[in-house]
Amino acid sequence: MLDPGAMAGQEKSPPARGPPRRRFGRLTLDMRQRLSPWKQSGFLAGSLVIGLALSLGVLALAGIAPRTLAEELAGTLNADSLRAVLVQAAPLILVGLGASLAFRIGFWNLGLEGQMIFGGIAATGVSLYAVGPVSMRLIIMGLAAAAGGLLWVLLAISLKIRFRVNEIIATLLLNYVATYFLFHLLYGAWQDSKTAFPQSTPLRPFERLPDIAPGINSGLAIAIAMVVLAGWLVHLSRVGFYMRFLSANPGMAKVLGVPIQAVTIGAVAASGAAAGLSGFINIAGQEGRLTQSFFNGYVFSGVLIAFLSRNDPVIVTIVGFLVAVLYVTGQTLQVFYQIPFTMVQLIQAIIVIAVASSEFFIRHRISWTH
Amino acid sequence: MTVALKLAGIRKSFDGAIALDGADFAARAGEVHALLGENGAGKSSLMNVAAGLYAPDAGIIVIEGQPVSLSGPAEARRRSIGMVHQHFKLVKPFTVAENILLANRRSRYRSGIEEIRAAIRRQADELGFDIDPARRVETLSLAEQQYVEIVKVLIGGVRILILDEPTAVLTDSEAERLLETIGRLARTGTAVVLVTHKLHEVKRCANAVTIMRSGRTVARLDPRTATAAELTVLTVGQTVRLPPRAERGYGETRLKVGALTCARVDGRIAVSDLSLFVRSGEIYGVAGVSGNGQAELAEALIGARKPLSGQIWIEGAGDVVENSSRRVASLAAIPADRYAHALAGSLSIAENFAVANIRSSRYGSTALIDRAAMRRDAAEAVIAFDVQGVRSVNQRAALLSGGNAQKLVIAREFSRQPAVVVAHSPSRGLDARACAAVHERLIAARDRGAGVLLISEDLDEILALSDRIGVMTRGRIAAEFERPADRQAIGRAMVDHA
Repeated sequence: MLDPGAMAGQEKSPPARGPPRRRFGRLTLDMRQRLSPWKQSGFLAGSLVIGLALSLGVLALAGIAPRTLAEELAGTLNADSLRAVLVQAAPLILVGLGASLAFRIGFWNLGLEGQMIFGGIAATGVSLYAVGPVSMRLIIMGLAAAAGGLLWVLLAISLKIRFRVNEIIATLLLNYVATYFLFHLLYGAWQDSKTAFPQSTPLRPFERLPDIAPGINSGLAIAIAMVVLAGWLVHLSRVGFYMRFLSANPGMAKVLGVPIQAVTIGAVAASGAAAGLSGFINIAGQEGRLTQSFFNGYVFSGVLIAFLSRNDPVIVTIVGFLVAVLYVTGQTLQVFYQIPFTMVQLIQAIIVIAVASSEFFIRHRISWTH
Repeated sequence: MTVALKLAGIRKSFDGAIALDGADFAARAGEVHALLGENGAGKSSLMNVAAGLYAPDAGIIVIEGQPVSLSGPAEARRRSIGMVHQHFKLVKPFTVAENILLANRRSRYRSGIEEIRAAIRRQADELGFDIDPARRVETLSLAEQQYVEIVKVLIGGVRILILDEPTAVLTDSEAERLLETIGRLARTGTAVVLVTHKLHEVKRCANAVTIMRSGRTVARLDPRTATAAELTVLTVGQTVRLPPRAERGYGETRLKVGALTCARVDGRIAVSDLSLFVRSGEIYGVAGVSGNGQAELAEALIGARKPLSGQIWIEGAGDVVENSSRRVASLAAIPADRYAHALAGSLSIAENFAVANIRSSRYGSTALIDRAAMRRDAAEAVIAFDVQGVRSVNQRAALLSGGNAQKLVIAREFSRQPAVVVAHSPSRGLDARACAAVHERLIAARDRGAGVLLISEDLDEILALSDRIGVMTRGRIAAEFERPADRQAIGRAMVDHA
């Protein structure tokens, strides 16, 4: 517990007699034992402000003055943009949920994009082969998508359990396998014969998510339902209780008879299924067909959302909306100011780093003594 | 003899927890100076201040007559203070010479490593042991690694050598050799500080002894004139008495271990074909020099380590090697490393208390857990088992001190009326009062009819509590003793087979 290193004098002490004088004082690093939740939130908010300020600086360097940005952000408040944010939030909330469920038990699922791809492929397959009656088609597509994501992540976890393959590597690299399998389909058997573009034939109208309000498809409703389900699982159910112990102290969980394997596989499977559903929402909600880019950037956003929300499903919803605002603003900037999409990812990265460093200040105290 | 190292009025706190509260210390050149005290008395903290690792909040450090303020371990080394830590600071895949070069920089690697090799041989000759500079550190025994640490600081030109619990990891004969070496070093004019909690080491080789208790220096005396009883009283503060044992017989067998064999992480066999049994109303003590397989035995019994072969049979649960949920219901596990196997520090006291009984319907159903019931039971247990420092059962378990964390573990484990209790070093790191409380609980469990298996490296603890004692050496029970057992005979059994 108490293992702080007191470090770093700022100058070499002179060899002269008597106690050496220090011109610059001394930096001391201590472990904190406790910090009130208020102060913790203070550090978190402070780091967010710093992250946003840095992002503003980067955007200014890219030629977007803070004033222009403010105008664009204010522009997001109009009805059209707000609708775009609500539509964009649904897949983001679901990948965030997927990431947080796996991270909760210490499984670093970086394969969210691969799982989205297989969710999208499974849903599109149901449409192409006209599986089931028309009235049930959309539900079957959704279930197929969840199953697709689930099976794809099961590959990674069975590699981990059977052969101890690190899941960070396995899930991340399986993204590429999934991407190229998708390309194989889109440039081959599933290519739209009418347009000859690398995308599938469009979904039929009854295979697309109906609107719950004008311009807002029911993807958001699905996402919220999943948030409620995950919130129950994590906070109220016995499985959620086990998950807390599994991540807090696996050695203890083993001794106390927590069904480690079952809980791990269950949480990871749920994570994959959520990502698969996210793919389904992008296909059946926004794109209307299987495209070669409907998953781009989501792994990073999912990790960001889970990280900022400390893996809490309820907070995932809030952060998901904020990231959606970033996406929509980013799209506007892309169109009107020729800013690349990577700029949105850069801003996400800056915020992640800022929040990650706040953790250091929450755990340590730095004091300056003379 | 001149005073080589003097520490006066040293204070140090870690985020409010006071580790040192005005500690004084002075060691002369050419003497072996023992620093004696219980676990947590502040010995290591005080020496870490001297070695420049901790910056003191207040106090004076005087080295060879000069008041100094140390900016870090590097400056301490320049001022000829070197410390060998309890947990060695060596780079395992590097060779001996490379490790020593790392701590004693030379301008060029190639010529530097040659210089270092020669210096190692010279130093090893002087001290009278043999170290091959080209061997990789991970292939060395713990005793050899310790010699590397000592040579490492001596080559840096150290005149004040601090050794933190150097014999803790050694066998008796290795410890003997080390103490001889230390004596020789002191005779060449080095001031050697020997941090220890073992009285016999102090009596055997120290020229002076300073005793610490709860962050303060309580006495400084000559170990040749002081009696062991005096030293004990000064170290422990108050003597703690255990209730006498009511004489009665034993019941049926509660725990049976048959032909148990376990491997360490590195694949070496740690427990080999070990068999023992514990009856109802009995405390069976497993004594032995640490590192003879006790840790692996304990881990296998509590379910943290899967044995290679053998049976662990518990009354009412059957063979539990394959079935850990039945084990949890009938066995109370008090592991040596609380934060590895018994408590989740980042979770609340209530959660840590409830987790063992979560399968029963007591804390709600599978779909809906009952947190109010958890808090209620935890709050009751906190009072019943006198867990102190609890402002709310929602606070994190990591905030409890060692003794109170142990009480929480015991409260949870005993809440199930277990048939068998397995306790490994249950009083390690606890102060005398908490230690007595833990012992009382173990005795109460035995008197209630449980079978208690106590594994401890502390022979005093074993002797005070056990009805039957097995001495563990090289992974098996080498000898068994009935109460009242002869301390000398047990000590011989521990060493003979080691």
